[in-house]
Amino acid sequence: MKAKITLIICIGCTALILTAVMFTQFKTVDQTDITAIETMREAELRTELASWKTKYEDIETKIEERDSKINEYKQELNNGANSLKILEDEVKEAEGYLGYTDVEGEGIVVTLKDTDIYNIENYELLKLVNELNIAGAEAISINDQRVVSGTDITLVNNRIILVNTKKVSGPYIVKAIGDKKYFESALTIKGGYIDEVKASGRDVEYKVEDNIVIPAYDGELEFKYAKENVKEKEVKE
Amino acid sequence: MKDPNKIVIAVILGIMCCFLTAGICIQMKTVKSSTTTVGRTQAENELRDSVLRWKEKYENANKKLENKEEQLEGLRDSVVNSTDSSSDLTSRLQQYNSLLGYTEVKGPGIIITLEDGDSSMLGGLATQYIVHDEDLYQVVNALKNVGAEAISINGQRITNRTAIACVGNVITVNEQKLGSPFVIQAIGPSLYLYSSLKMPGGYLSYIEDYGVKVDVKQIDKDSIVIPKYEGVYTSTYASNVEE
Repeated sequence: MKAKITLIICIGCTALILTAVMFTQFKTVDQTDITAIETMREAELRTELASWKTKYEDIETKIEERDSKINEYKQELNNGANSLKILEDEVKEAEGYLGYTDVEGEGIVVTLKDTDIYNIENYELLKLVNELNIAGAEAISINDQRVVSGTDITLVNNRIILVNTKKVSGPYIVKAIGDKKYFESALTIKGGYIDEVKASGRDVEYKVEDNIVIPAYDGELEFKYAKENVKEKEVKE
Repeated sequence: MKDPNKIVIAVILGIMCCFLTAGICIQMKTVKSSTTTVGRTQAENELRDSVLRWKEKYENANKKLENKEEQLEGLRDSVVNSTDSSSDLTSRLQQYNSLLGYTEVKGPGIIITLEDGDSSMLGGLATQYIVHDEDLYQVVNALKNVGAEAISINGQRITNRTAIACVGNVITVNEQKLGSPFVIQAIGPSLYLYSSLKMPGGYLSYIEDYGVKVDVKQIDKDSIVIPKYEGVYTSTYASNVEE
């Protein structure tokens, strides 16, 4: 009887150790995402490297920007006189990026027209907005509807196009502010957007301009479902 | 029944098990190191090292940024305090920053996975069943149409300036190269998002017919986490119109 108990305990103990070792093994394998890099081929590694480099550069510019902001704040705080202005400016800047303000600058105006054969569909507009973003657009509007982060371009009943849930109809005038030369070359490249739209039997024209005014978004953006994901900050003593 | 005999057996059994465990561990380690060293070229090793170096650099910079961010927040508060004004400005700024995608957000929503179809099964033209840049911005547009508030593709936050481009045969989002499978996360009214994206005749069913692998999951809990936008908004050409 006693021997049996000892036997069971012995086997139990070894089983326990075995499981524990296995778990630690799994854990370490899990934790090292180096293993992903270990198995990558040369081409993949190059892509990975390029992506980390751009990520790093993005962060560096962000840090520089924050640094200059911090300096501005410190200066203003020392002067004391008008320190609220800098905060107001920051709010205004953010409003500009969100699309809450009218903006002006150089850019391009693209006009899309239905033809007898084919109508302009939301695809042409979606593609154009994306092409303009690729070329670094800072503000875009479609028939004076500002393109903001929540903007959708939807085709209803195969006829009506809604932008920001407002009905727009042809001719579709798409304005974009940014580097006008860059816009022009990006759209007119052989086999590019302008060629493609023309080849599909629709009508498109463009004009680069030195001063384009793009109106503010007339709605308000709001988060109803998205909440800030507050991470537990490390407690520093 | 001889008790001592049994104890001996038990002890032997235990020792054997111990050896076995050790053996397995050593085996696993050797297998791991041998497979990774096989077929590696010098160039790949160097690349691997630099990937790790840049990753570390990035992580360090990220920490630095977080510090600066905190510092700035403190300064903003002290500006507000020093002028005795309401803190309306700082809360507005916080709200704007999260709308711009500068913060990580969580909430309910849906997760869509788009994966290139299997060439061995489908045959024919590969261009029909691989995921295109167009598919991604069509899906993003469809999500916005039903009220998605925050969207990411393979961890890249979608902003109003996000460009989805096709460079050669690689898709870039926010100038980051991404590959199939594409995991599109969206926060918003989950049921509504799910039912309209799954709608027969919708865009997803259209590309599914062509052979793209589509998977849609509805998440009701606040368990979708969408990372912040890594880039920076700049205004070189556009300026606010002064009233």
